[in-house]
Amino acid sequence: MSPGPVRGATPNRRLGSVRGVSVLSPPGRRARPSAPETSRLSSAAREELRRRLLGLIEGHRVVIFSKSYCPHSARVKELFSSLGVECNILELDQVDNGASVQEVLSEITHQNTVPNIFVNKVHVGGCDRTFQAHQSGLLQKLLQEDPAYDYDLIVIGGGSGGLACAQEAAVLGRKVMVLDFVAPSPQGTSWGLGGTCVNVGCVPKKLMHQAALLGQALTDSRRFGWEFSQQVKHNWGTLTEAVQTHVGSLNWGCRLSLREKAVAYVNAHGEFVEHHKVKATNGKGQKTCYTAAKFVIATGERPRYLGIQGDKEYCITSDDLFSLPYCPGATLVVGASYVALECAGFLAGLGLEVTVMVRSVLLRGFDQEMAERLGSSLERLGVRFLRKFVPVAVLQLEKGSPGRLKVVARSTEGPETVEGVYNTVLLAIGRDSCTKGIGLEKIGVKINEKNGRIPVNDMEQTTVPYVYAVGDVLEGKPQLTPVAMQAGKLLARRLFGGRLEKCDYVNVPTVVFTPLEYGCCGLSEERAAQEYQRENLEVYHTVFWPLEWTVACRDNNACYAKIICNKLDNERVIGFHILGPNAGEITQGFAAAMKCGLTKRLLDDTVGIHPTCAEVFTTLEITKSSGLDIMQKGC
Amino acid sequence: MAGYKEVSVAGYEDFMQAVEQHNGKTVFAYFSGSKDAEGKSWCPDCVQAEPVVREGLKHVGEGCVFIYCQVGEKPYWKDPNNDFRKKLKLTAVPTLLKYGTPHKLVESECLQANLVEMLFSED
Repeated sequence: MSPGPVRGATPNRRLGSVRGVSVLSPPGRRARPSAPETSRLSSAAREELRRRLLGLIEGHRVVIFSKSYCPHSARVKELFSSLGVECNILELDQVDNGASVQEVLSEITHQNTVPNIFVNKVHVGGCDRTFQAHQSGLLQKLLQEDPAYDYDLIVIGGGSGGLACAQEAAVLGRKVMVLDFVAPSPQGTSWGLGGTCVNVGCVPKKLMHQAALLGQALTDSRRFGWEFSQQVKHNWGTLTEAVQTHVGSLNWGCRLSLREKAVAYVNAHGEFVEHHKVKATNGKGQKTCYTAAKFVIATGERPRYLGIQGDKEYCITSDDLFSLPYCPGATLVVGASYVALECAGFLAGLGLEVTVMVRSVLLRGFDQEMAERLGSSLERLGVRFLRKFVPVAVLQLEKGSPGRLKVVARSTEGPETVEGVYNTVLLAIGRDSCTKGIGLEKIGVKINEKNGRIPVNDMEQTTVPYVYAVGDVLEGKPQLTPVAMQAGKLLARRLFGGRLEKCDYVNVPTVVFTPLEYGCCGLSEERAAQEYQRENLEVYHTVFWPLEWTVACRDNNACYAKIICNKLDNERVIGFHILGPNAGEITQGFAAAMKCGLTKRLLDDTVGIHPTCAEVFTTLEITKSSGLDIMQKGC
Repeated sequence: MAGYKEVSVAGYEDFMQAVEQHNGKTVFAYFSGSKDAEGKSWCPDCVQAEPVVREGLKHVGEGCVFIYCQVGEKPYWKDPNNDFRKKLKLTAVPTLLKYGTPHKLVESECLQANLVEMLFSED
């Protein structure tokens, strides 16, 4: 359908006809040679389309809205080609909302014909006007590079998403700046470049999880013949020092990586002051302004506080835990997020007394059956749960490192209150987006007022065409490092590398790294029932007993595996769940299989590796609907 | 002229002594394969990197200490159990580092003037 390459010096880029997929159509729809389409644009759709078109026009030096069979369009394309100018072309007859585009363009330009040409965001006109501009020298003037901006791209936020985007843009030859600044936590903790994951998230968490697992391994080891007489104790200081040394090397690695790619890095807080301009304030209060053609907001989140007496004064959060200069001692963890449970898990695994105070459910948003099983595994470790309570006050009984704190909590079901004394109170009740105080309201970037997150379209574009966002700050997207990195990288490629690929947020695997790990990919049973109706689902499940646990005499019914299959689609696996050792490593492969369209039959046809835990997925037989018992006997 | 003090040492013991002597100061260290009688090192990367490092030293702060450390002959360096590898966790020469911090540059990184400058001028 698309014509051959235009003759001339420079190949022009067809936005609309690469592999027949339109950059402007809703995802997943293939372009067809268009039948005349009546405009049925709702005002929301019109607004959206307008925004996308403006984004296109802002984002490229020359944009030609064309039709592949139109001779005037062809003349214009040849003109630019002969000038050696690269153009971005949208063939309206090859995208299936071409008539809508033409309509919205007509609103923007008061021209309803093609070709419709923009040069450096200026509307030139149609074929005649473009040739006239060429003859008069105006076209050459318009084509001159716009030197108005300091940078091609400024990224606000130097975490997983921000750094991936910035580095990719730099590799594609652009002038890029990263602004990163960490406001100290209420307890005074701060950190270097790299964002939450590197400093106060995934990395230190996994290392501490490993520390706890090693403790368990030491206990198990005796049954495997290891003999040691001394009491094994844990030294918190040794652990945090080792963890922080590694984090420090990662901070340095981020700095090196940016410098090698010539990305300007400023350790300063970025705030929009007007369109295309930010003010950067460093730790000493010095302010400098920078301008850029495009911006990416990747400011992430910080832990939320309760808003009760004593919370900011005496409580710590994950911001503080991984570098805490003293052992936390007996700890109350408030919250039931994966952060809360992971922290409770490794603290208990290191031998500390841990209580978890939960307002309602565990792991909201996750499969609740798995969440409850995970909760039980923590209880078996000695973690105490206070269900259906919320703290109302935190009081200091004694100063110290750690000190002693009294927590008063009220039941959510009645007037009952309970008091407890702990060395440390760790709040893990959720995280708030860092979208206040960065001037978004000055330029009109819309945010969700309730949670501060930024809604974006499937190109990660905000309500302001030259401003994009990636990472935890996005509304409705998984808050995970690999997602942010992928989104950031693909965004840079679309903006500066002429690519079209969008980030795929479907079937993103994730793992909760509690001592007994929980890995999942796809839908929870609740979501699956909602989307597909329960009668259309078949859930296969089993408990399993890892071989390594037999000799160690560990529980034979603690580990659990289930898959949720869609009966209407060849028993396609739409939900994968495993609670067991190494769930993190196991889940990755199955996530890839689900991307390939894994079905129950394919699983059954796959030969298991023996003896492993993962092999249970190749021999699943018992369904929930059968009502058969899966519990194992004896131990 | 930047106000730094240069100390020349050879071998691990000498190096640690120099570090002790300058306790409390900001110490940068450059580890190179040892030079022969004609002043040429057996490590070609070290030879190439040295002028880049010396150029970068011009940006270093007042009162800093720069230790130039010759690690030894090639066979000693290649031994996986030598003191530099085991105790200082060095993996290659040349290595340029700021002692007591994770800030370091290894091998070809030492040839990049912008990275060397970043290491020396870090606050």
